[in-house]
Amino acid sequence: MKALLIDDERLARNELRRLLAKHADITVVGEAANADEARDCVGKLGPELLFLDIQMPGDDGFALLETLEPPLPQVIFTTAYDEFAVKAFEFNALDYLMKPVDPVRLAAALERLHDREGSPSGAPPSAGRIARLAPEDKVFVREGERCWFVELKMIRLMESEGNYTRVHFGDAQPQLFRSLNAMEERLDPRCFFRANRRQIINLAWIDRIEPWFSGSLLIHLKGGLKVELSRRQAQAFRDQMSL
Amino acid sequence: MDSAPAISVPVAEIGLRQEAKERLYVICQVGGWGFFFTLQAVFSVLFSKPEDHHDPVETSTVLVVVTAVGLLLTHYTRPLITRWGWKQLGWRPLVPRVLASSVMLSLLWSMSTYGIIYGVMRTPWTAKISPLVVFSFTWIQGTTLFVGWLCVYFFYHLFDRFNRSEIERLRLATSVKEAELRALKSQINPHFIFNSLNSLRGLIDENPDRARQAVTQLANLLRYSLQSGQLETVPFEDELRTVNDYLALEQVRHEERLRVRLDVEPGVLNLSIPPMLLQTLVENAVKYGIAPRREGGEIAIIARCESGQLRLQVTNPGTLAAGGGSTGVGLRNAAERLQLLFGDQARLDLRENPPGCVTAGVIIPLETEPGMGARALGSPRGADNFGRQARRPDQKTVLPA
Repeated sequence: MKALLIDDERLARNELRRLLAKHADITVVGEAANADEARDCVGKLGPELLFLDIQMPGDDGFALLETLEPPLPQVIFTTAYDEFAVKAFEFNALDYLMKPVDPVRLAAALERLHDREGSPSGAPPSAGRIARLAPEDKVFVREGERCWFVELKMIRLMESEGNYTRVHFGDAQPQLFRSLNAMEERLDPRCFFRANRRQIINLAWIDRIEPWFSGSLLIHLKGGLKVELSRRQAQAFRDQMSL
Repeated sequence: MDSAPAISVPVAEIGLRQEAKERLYVICQVGGWGFFFTLQAVFSVLFSKPEDHHDPVETSTVLVVVTAVGLLLTHYTRPLITRWGWKQLGWRPLVPRVLASSVMLSLLWSMSTYGIIYGVMRTPWTAKISPLVVFSFTWIQGTTLFVGWLCVYFFYHLFDRFNRSEIERLRLATSVKEAELRALKSQINPHFIFNSLNSLRGLIDENPDRARQAVTQLANLLRYSLQSGQLETVPFEDELRTVNDYLALEQVRHEERLRVRLDVEPGVLNLSIPPMLLQTLVENAVKYGIAPRREGGEIAIIARCESGQLRLQVTNPGTLAAGGGSTGVGLRNAAERLQLLFGDQARLDLRENPPGCVTAGVIIPLETEPGMGARALGSPRGADNFGRQARRPDQKTVLPA
């Protein structure tokens, strides 16, 4: 498994490299001292796993994840003492290591990673930028103190908000760091459907469909959201569904 | 920094107090004058002789007028007392004022009641004594009445003032305790400690000598921060040594990103300063000036002794808008501590001084006025309990590489 180490301290990266040397299945393919370097490295090296420090000069670890092009690699956070971040991790059961890193905890985190590897998430990294995202691929979103790696299949609805996209999943609706159009290009049209200029719905979350005024459709999503299809999109929807 | 220790009373609390006071005033006024009215009525029934042939309606009208005028007079005296600032006076200047105003009030009271009863209502004069004698008697009687009223009024206010100053005192004591507690809590940033330990782990293989040195420096720093919390002041030299240890550890972490320039007048080394003061400024400078910048920068520490004041300056690259927005707990605590120790004689400010740099400046008086609660400077209190054994004069301004 190809890993990238992201930490602003050279010694911290060295130490992690040394700890990882004991794990034969992990190959450290590169190091980055800040978010910009990390973005380059992710593009060039296609790591499957990031060891990511939260506090860095410039963009912090969360901001990096928000701006990385999905699909995201697996992420293990490393942090020295950051109550808020740790709370966010525990809330979402994200994996994190406290510095100085305990070798036993590191081994446990890698173990969990292997267990999860059965799922295809993070599997085809950098296999061409234009590749469609699979329903199991994850995006990183954050709102206040909470943050999530959310699988695309869990997202019921995406709504355009200027350069950002509001995603609805579970009981949360945080903002995603890219435009709805940019998202649409990456989404699988068999799973997601552009309902109108502002909204994209997840077909798997449709509860029922209601004929609406002058040939348009009203779609009820599971969980109570309602989305109106424009007349043109309603026609396209009928065509696609009847196939 | 505008962070004098705020001993503020919540606005809602003030409102409630005012309401309660107003209610008490109304109760006292109504109760007092009601009692006066009843007393007069009882007396007039008890002592009226049958041969006087008093008309009960007339008698009660007179009583109502007398009571109402008294009530109104005292009611309008109250805002005057406030306006003249009598509530702030001690009892000594109050006594003549109370007497004089009682005489005046009573004169007004007697004149207006006599005017209403005998002038407006045209009640016939039935007494056998001359009206002048009866008037004088009423005047004197009224004076005692108003003295009584004013006494009750001022006693209440004296008591209230005492109470309030007691509350203020307790509040102040609490805020001092809180500040102490916060100072203790914020002594060393845990984020720094764990990051340092992490770097240290990395350093062990790479440079064992430097790693050993760093362990000692971290130990010194922790010991200092634990012990100095109990001291009011420490010698500047001890504080500077700690700051040097701290910066050396930060240099292990940030390497070439952190550069340090030290400019300390030898004269200031023996002066006393509140513990962790310089350390707080320097920690702040690293946090906002170095850590967020990829290219890092230089931190300059300047300590001078000028015109009876100790002047400390810590400069780091940055802007007030960028990092200073969250200038945070550290500096606020430091400013609060200075205020508690030296009052208005000490100052802590943060300014964007050389362009592109933020400078935190502290001014501490070398000699404080007696009774300021700050026998701080000049007397190296606590110097003996702490740090003496480690003092090496040749180490004064040498920064560990």
